[in-house]
Amino acid sequence: MKKQLLNILHSCLFLSMLTFYSCNEGESPAPDEGLDAERWVTVAGALMGDSPGDGNGGTQIYAVSYEDAINPETVIDVFENGTPVKSNRTARLQVSEDGNTMFNIAYAGENGGEYARFAVNGGGNYVQEDVTVNISQYAGTAPRWGKLYNDDKTGIAVNIANIAANNADNQDEFEYYRGTATVLALDLQETLIANYRQYELPLTAEEEAAGHCIFRLDAPVLNQAGDKVIIGTWMRKYDPLTGERESEWDRLGTKSIVVNYPSLENPTVISSTQAFGDCSGYRSNVNYLAEDGSIYQATQRDPNGSHILRITSGNEYDNTYKLSLDETLGLEDVYIEAWKYVNNGIGYALIRHGESDQSYVARLDLTNKTASLVNEIPDDADLSFHQYQGFLVSGNDLLIAVAPIGKDGNIYVLHSQTGEVTIGATLKNKAGNHYIGVF
Amino acid sequence: MKLKRPITILLQIALLFLIYEEILASVITGKVTDSQSQPLPGVTLLIQGTTIGTITNPEGHFEIKNVASGRQVLIISSLGYERTMKEIFVPAGETIKLDIVMRDATSTLDEIVIEGQSIKKELETRGFAVHVIETKKASLQSVQTNDLINRTAGVRVRQNGGIGSSVDYNLNGMSGNSVRIFIDGLPASTYGSSFSLNSIPPALIERIEIYKGVIPAHLADDALGGAINVILKKSMSNNLSASVSYGSFNTFQTNFNGLIRESSSGFTLRASAFYNYSDNDYEVWGKFVRNILPNGRYDYVRAKRFNDAYKSVGGKLSVGFTSVKWADQLFISYTGSDDYNEIQHGTYMSIPYFGRFTTSQSHALGLDYSKEDLFTKGLEVTFNGTLSSRGQVVNDTVRWNYNWFGERSLGLDGKPILRPQGAQQGAPTLNHIDRNIATFRTGLNYRINSQHKLIYSFTYFDIDRRQQDEMLSTVERAFIGTRDLQKDISSLGYEFNLFRTRLKGNLFGKYYQQRIDRMDPILVEANGESFRSEDRVSSTKNTAGYGAAFSYTVSEKLLLLISAEKAVRMPSENEIFGSPGDNIVENISINPEISNNLNLGFQVGSFDFVDHKFSLSSTGFLRDTKDKIIQQINPRINDAVQTNPYENLGKTKSIGFEAQLNYSHKDKLRAMINLSRFNSVFNTRYDSNGNIYDNYNQQLPNEPYFNINSTLEYAFADVFMKEAALNLTYYFGFVDRFYTTWLEIEDFRTPRQFVQDIGVNYAFPNKKLVISGDVRNIFDQQVYDNFAVQKPGRAFYLKINYTINNF
Repeated sequence: MKKQLLNILHSCLFLSMLTFYSCNEGESPAPDEGLDAERWVTVAGALMGDSPGDGNGGTQIYAVSYEDAINPETVIDVFENGTPVKSNRTARLQVSEDGNTMFNIAYAGENGGEYARFAVNGGGNYVQEDVTVNISQYAGTAPRWGKLYNDDKTGIAVNIANIAANNADNQDEFEYYRGTATVLALDLQETLIANYRQYELPLTAEEEAAGHCIFRLDAPVLNQAGDKVIIGTWMRKYDPLTGERESEWDRLGTKSIVVNYPSLENPTVISSTQAFGDCSGYRSNVNYLAEDGSIYQATQRDPNGSHILRITSGNEYDNTYKLSLDETLGLEDVYIEAWKYVNNGIGYALIRHGESDQSYVARLDLTNKTASLVNEIPDDADLSFHQYQGFLVSGNDLLIAVAPIGKDGNIYVLHSQTGEVTIGATLKNKAGNHYIGVF
Repeated sequence: MKLKRPITILLQIALLFLIYEEILASVITGKVTDSQSQPLPGVTLLIQGTTIGTITNPEGHFEIKNVASGRQVLIISSLGYERTMKEIFVPAGETIKLDIVMRDATSTLDEIVIEGQSIKKELETRGFAVHVIETKKASLQSVQTNDLINRTAGVRVRQNGGIGSSVDYNLNGMSGNSVRIFIDGLPASTYGSSFSLNSIPPALIERIEIYKGVIPAHLADDALGGAINVILKKSMSNNLSASVSYGSFNTFQTNFNGLIRESSSGFTLRASAFYNYSDNDYEVWGKFVRNILPNGRYDYVRAKRFNDAYKSVGGKLSVGFTSVKWADQLFISYTGSDDYNEIQHGTYMSIPYFGRFTTSQSHALGLDYSKEDLFTKGLEVTFNGTLSSRGQVVNDTVRWNYNWFGERSLGLDGKPILRPQGAQQGAPTLNHIDRNIATFRTGLNYRINSQHKLIYSFTYFDIDRRQQDEMLSTVERAFIGTRDLQKDISSLGYEFNLFRTRLKGNLFGKYYQQRIDRMDPILVEANGESFRSEDRVSSTKNTAGYGAAFSYTVSEKLLLLISAEKAVRMPSENEIFGSPGDNIVENISINPEISNNLNLGFQVGSFDFVDHKFSLSSTGFLRDTKDKIIQQINPRINDAVQTNPYENLGKTKSIGFEAQLNYSHKDKLRAMINLSRFNSVFNTRYDSNGNIYDNYNQQLPNEPYFNINSTLEYAFADVFMKEAALNLTYYFGFVDRFYTTWLEIEDFRTPRQFVQDIGVNYAFPNKKLVISGDVRNIFDQQVYDNFAVQKPGRAFYLKINYTINNF
């Protein structure tokens, strides 16, 4: 508890310093307010099911101290020494801010939708708490969820059900394809469902008449004021003339949903004019609140490559802002697989580009709208971050687990302000497996 | 292990043996009596198509030597008595005993009682790894057909709940699409779920043949791992039987079977029917049975299943001629069936469904013809043709969550909660799937002489599938595609008996052809207008397989069996064309799955020690599957555009054995125990970097790999009344625990299971009436075929059987 309080104090201090620094450009970056050397760092790996890299064999986790995690002398073998997470397929993990508790919602299987907490005791020793809560009735057995950055109080799970035409079972004129959205708040401390709302999310009549609809929700994030949750969308389009799903179409501007917090009511749809991709992320969040009160959002499946967009503290897209990775990296069809905002306008994106499946790491400067590849990350054709979900920020540092499928790797420590890269613990791997996060 | 070489060697050995031909030494002995059990001297017995025969002595006894093994027809004639012909199976090099009762020339029909289990024995000693289940005794009890199959060595039936729920068959570690079901030699898909192993009662079944890994030429389908062939009742004498059973969970089952034959014209009428109903409202409990409270917490409960009723009704009517000059059999038949099946849950029972059900029905018109010695001596012709139309409706429109008490689950605000996908299992659906199926099978068997026989078989089937979902809009419905599948399989086999029939061989090759036509409606634009057009694609694939089976009688008490096949499974429609809905791209060049299957077995016995009799059999097997069709992970799964096609990349291997021990004492006590154990493993060794996969050689998840079945029967004679019989049966089954996912953790492991059933039946002196009682799962154990799906607990059944023969 004491440590938590300290953390909050730290972050407050840090925020005030940031505001100060932002007025003094060119000053040295913020001093490192990193994590305690003893903080547990959980490393997660995904086992293969039927084919290499599919992650369908389940997830194993293993904890070391922060000190050990960044120490190149340390060797971590999650697959040999880790403990399995009770989930049929790749688990959707989250960690408490102090690193002492892992949160998981089992994905698919008999216990799909079951939220459980594990006390982190180091190594492969994770102790599951007795009480579990199951959100499958609201959000399905394969729910999408995220933890709000509000001192581990709340998780938000979201779902869209039963997308159908308005004239599916009647002879009415076609007007829209629409599903029913569920937004659910999970009390992570009390382990129970705190609140939920279900509603339809209409687009404009014109958009709907063309067959556009929201297919999936994910990546919830709390705004700076703490009164709205912004949720990313994955769009789909049907051909109203045939009822068939289209695989390529003229995409609408990126859309997000804004709902009141904590009531979860009053959903509204906001649209960007700057990018046309989805913003639902995949295994990890793509929406992050920065010190400037804006939310930065990565797009995917964007016809012009992934972009970073900005949603202002007024909960609207800032249509004067965009960061195009294609443009700034000079690459074709850049796709952000996952990313993390660190601080002071700097984030890191795990990307691939063109036709290749190989992943790379790019450092993003959101303020100056530039990006560059981090060349210290091994250039390996088997490196794939497509299921990546765990980033750990420690002051100016970002820790990521980099291990190509079936090959050993390392924890990498990326210094957001200097761009410096140092190598941490060795990650032992096995054929077909890959590492999916540090928490 | 490479199987090609052993097969080639076997073929060469077989060819060598062809040069030799020796005289057979099977013997038929027995006694002929009249209907008053008086011995009949001077009766002529002749093996059809030969000059081999004899005449009974003054005591009515006879002995016919030098009979060729296999299927033979015995012609029995005597002045003043009906001339009769009887088909019998003569085991190689053995003496079989026949007791024959002759009817007066005035009586309507002959009857011949054959001692022993000749058909079963004949099939089981030809070299194949086959097990023949005779249903005669079991059909007196309240036992399901699937229960009988499940008690067989090397077979695991996995049912998703009570009577009528979906079933998967695992034969020696191969399951799903690899196991094909046949009814009277035709693919069971001809009839659909309403006329299947789930609904046909044992009383209407003559026998069930289970072929593991290697399938004889006449059973033609792309069965990679094995085949289950159900032979419906084929009695040739006038008879009528009926039974009715009632028991726990409001389970009511009745069936009827009868045959009338007019002896002068050969006109024959055969009819059978069944009706099954069960509420299946058995109690479930334990860690998978919980109600979810509004706040998401669990409330563990004991509850009765409430949406699991099953009803099926069906019948078959055949009209035709038997044993006439121009046909041994000619039948025109109609098979009709209908079922209603509520579905309580999906893969796991942790989420109960309300209101999801399927209905299905089928109508099949069949023509069957068979004749031996057609045109020329030794040529047997069979033809079976069926035209069927079957329909299925999947109904799932209830929008709310339900708890295990059958009530709507309430949310935090006290209102019912919508299902996350819109209906119980997925999106709301009222999907009508209709299929028109044509199945034809022609068999030509040519017996060159008593030692050599050629077999040719050709099977063709054509399935047209149409579907309509009422929960889709009119526009959407107009854009649903159609699928046509045509498959034909030609097989050529050669059977021989050599070295005084000590060596029996069977070589066969099969040629498979498959054509799939896909039509998807599309919208095309021309002159500024868009209109519906049809996009047609088709895929034609063909491949060959071959195999052999041999048995060798080392001594009177020891028989060795070996069989091997390069077995094939053709890719399915989805595997070829992909699925636009799931963004799976097509792979027109995908190849069939191939499995090299090998069985090596022996049968010893029976050994007699005074009144004790033992016999033992065992088979070791290998299933080496290559080119297994799997879908590789696409790191771009996040892309909405395309995901990977199915490819021939997987490899699995199953290696194991099964054994069965039979014991009897004075023909009163009979005991059987069998066990099967295998390792079914992931068999891809290296990744692209040459590292060995962690899963390599690891047991595939969700495969029960070790189980034991045992039955004990005791017959008491003259109980309460003279000539009455009382039979007791006891069954014990064991299934070892297994992991259900690659992650080997306790939470994903099934419990070790022990099931015990007892049964009793009482046959009244006239043998027409038999009353039976059963207690299933007597200790009310939690039983699981599938992870997190509990099967019925303790249940009681009572059954009345009535049979009239020879009226």
